[in-house]
Amino acid sequence: MTKAKFKSFWDKFGTLSILVLMLVCLSIASPKYFLTADNFKQIGLQSTVYILLAFGEFFAILLAGIDLSVGSVAALVGMFIAMMLKAGVPIPLAILAGLLIALVFGAVNGILINALDLHPFVVTLGTNTIFRGITLVVSNGSPVYGLPKAFKDMSGYVFGFPIPLLFALIMAVVLILFTTRSVAARNLYALGGNKQSAWYSGINTKHYTLFAHMLASLLAGVAGIIMTSRVGAAEPTAGDGYETFAIASCIIGGTSFFGGKGKIFGVLLGGLTIGTITNGLNILNVSSYYQKIVMGALIIGSVALEKVIGNSVKNS
Amino acid sequence: MLGLFLKKRNALTSGQKEKMVHMNSLVEMRNITKKFPGVTALSGVNFDVQPGEVHVLLGENGAGKSTLMKMLSGAYEPTEGTMVANGKEFPRFTPRISQENGISIIYQELSVIDEISIQENIFVGKLLTKKVAGISLVDNATMKQRTQEVLDEIGLKRSPGTRAGQLSIPEKQMVEIAKAVAFDAKVIIMDEPTSSLTTEEINHLFEIVDRLKKQGKGIVFISHKLDEVMAIGDRVTVLKDGQYIGTYPISEMNEDKLVTMMVGREIKGTYLQDPNRDYGDDIIFEAKDITRKDNRCRNISFQLKRGEILGFSGLVGAGRTELMEAIFGAAPMKTGEMTLLGEKLNIKCPYDALKAGIALVTENRRVTGFSPFFSIKQNLIQAKYLKESKFGGMTGLINKKMEQEVAEEQRAAMQIKCATTNQTITELSGGNQQKVILGKWMASDPKLIIFDEPTKGIDVGTKSEIYKLMRALAERGIGVLVVSSEMPELLSTCDRIVVFSDGKKNGEFTSLEATEEALVRAATT
Repeated sequence: MTKAKFKSFWDKFGTLSILVLMLVCLSIASPKYFLTADNFKQIGLQSTVYILLAFGEFFAILLAGIDLSVGSVAALVGMFIAMMLKAGVPIPLAILAGLLIALVFGAVNGILINALDLHPFVVTLGTNTIFRGITLVVSNGSPVYGLPKAFKDMSGYVFGFPIPLLFALIMAVVLILFTTRSVAARNLYALGGNKQSAWYSGINTKHYTLFAHMLASLLAGVAGIIMTSRVGAAEPTAGDGYETFAIASCIIGGTSFFGGKGKIFGVLLGGLTIGTITNGLNILNVSSYYQKIVMGALIIGSVALEKVIGNSVKNS
Repeated sequence: MLGLFLKKRNALTSGQKEKMVHMNSLVEMRNITKKFPGVTALSGVNFDVQPGEVHVLLGENGAGKSTLMKMLSGAYEPTEGTMVANGKEFPRFTPRISQENGISIIYQELSVIDEISIQENIFVGKLLTKKVAGISLVDNATMKQRTQEVLDEIGLKRSPGTRAGQLSIPEKQMVEIAKAVAFDAKVIIMDEPTSSLTTEEINHLFEIVDRLKKQGKGIVFISHKLDEVMAIGDRVTVLKDGQYIGTYPISEMNEDKLVTMMVGREIKGTYLQDPNRDYGDDIIFEAKDITRKDNRCRNISFQLKRGEILGFSGLVGAGRTELMEAIFGAAPMKTGEMTLLGEKLNIKCPYDALKAGIALVTENRRVTGFSPFFSIKQNLIQAKYLKESKFGGMTGLINKKMEQEVAEEQRAAMQIKCATTNQTITELSGGNQQKVILGKWMASDPKLIIFDEPTKGIDVGTKSEIYKLMRALAERGIGVLVVSSEMPELLSTCDRIVVFSDGKKNGEFTSLEATEEALVRAATT
């Protein structure tokens, strides 16, 4: 393979190669437990929440911004839905209300960013804590148990395939179509690549910033529903620190931190990579304290590897 | 075909003659060819720099000047050819070889860091140190002394400790030159050094260049401005579309000859404008009493007739660009009414302007003109998509077939030079980028196009193409407004010229009445 060919290969399949490499290593390390059909389903399930959060995060990062509040929004939406279900609200209505709440919180992020002309980092750093605080206040700090069976069954299996993962994959298809086929997404990419020129081309930058953050929160809300359904309860501290995984999934998936570049498919692979790492560490019996250290190192390592290979190809 | 071939041959022989004469070149590039995937950027170029000369590199945008210079700095590797420095041959220069042989480039976009002092700017990355008790410390005293010497040498009257942010643009440019001098550069390449300087500042720059020349340094001077080329150059090398046209002593040249070599055709002084033409009373755009919220332009009224090109002259900051931003909705208005083709406009943001059929080709291409990660095609289609979809562009689907058609149509209409429209726009030269931006707006079917400094940093050949495009638009009944700081540009393209001074309209001239003196007088009183 020539260098140029390898470069275009790496551009397309870099993230996938890292994921495959990781799967191979873990399969060798633990063929008995890791390399089983059940475990792969497990990985898919574990990845679902990361993937959905990362999809939302993607739109914030695409605009050269960030959303640190996705984990809190997921917990908050989960908590609201759990409380509504406990109060006897029908499931579809509760879900709809939960998603509406997610949109409202996304709008809060977007409006603050626009009105105060602050970097999304600062705004969402603040709202992350605020949303978490609201969750603790409404739940009085305790988890909500005993959700209807039908709600829990939503994260079951269909023909032996985990429903949440299926849903994440459908979401991926929808978002891939959206990002590649819609004028709105084209405008988001333009805004992320050069805000000023987007504005002078007629793109209303504030509307699109608001839109991106509402989309980020909406997807976080979806993640929150799945999280709550899987656990069968809403924990006020659920999803704490998950923004790290969401951001890491985007970066591993090749989304540029400087905005304007990135693909949903890459983010999907990024989320699966994070899920695989978590699962692998559990299987290898790494203690949860060490897991954090290893996870951090693997995030840096996998992005660095991609960059090092990418650079060495580019420079030669 | 044969003509081109003969021309190429002549060029090569004259280049070879040059090489025979000079034996002690500081650097030399022999028969350089550079191919990029799909494009030959340079073919068979010879270039050399002698001690104590100003060697002008002349060519339109996209002619290959930057590519050639990037080989001198070590950024690019020639596909074919030999590089020579101080008599030693290399297959390519690395940045290191380039540095060791005293090659220094002063780019158009200055790299001076505002937050630190002149002295620190000069020694950035190469701080001098002294050992005190075995520990390396920054040697400020020596650096200060050395900076002072260099500043004296080039005549910049500032103390080495001055923060660079306090310097004017020409002063910053001198700091860059000082940096080259401080590290004993033998070849100094200046990439369009006069593009943002006033006449007086240019004269000062030329004095410095003369001084450097007398010290035996070789200067490579890249410029589009032919009068400057004639004034400062000793020799000139002309490139056209990557072809080597030849190297000649300036004494054998004149401006007309240079233009002909650069573009391969005669360019006339005026551009299809007829001072005696009567445009009648068909007013297509009218602005009444426009005042911006920040008062940067006040009480501006004007009318634009069908077929006319209306120019706006004045000093930078006099309110011309500011007025256009207000018309386009990019800056809020306090008062003002606008009518386009009989319809009253209510424009609050650029999106409204786009919908109403107003386009603004902005002054600063890189910052406000295009989407850098988008392909030529994606840039060309952007405004059309936005205009044709609803709710600020939230609806609407990508249509690859239409994209392709629009891109090809605009590529042909604007004569955009590219291998394919799938190339990233940043791979194009400035002039071609400008054509893409114009094409983007044309695809959105505008009724009024505002040009703000349409030919800034664009070479003579492309300039005349853009003037012709502007005239063709006016003939088609599209309104054309032009803001320009280049008076010959306004005088040769516009039917009427409005002059601004201090945020207000301070005169209006027909093309018969307008002279440079009249415009200057109106702009400064």
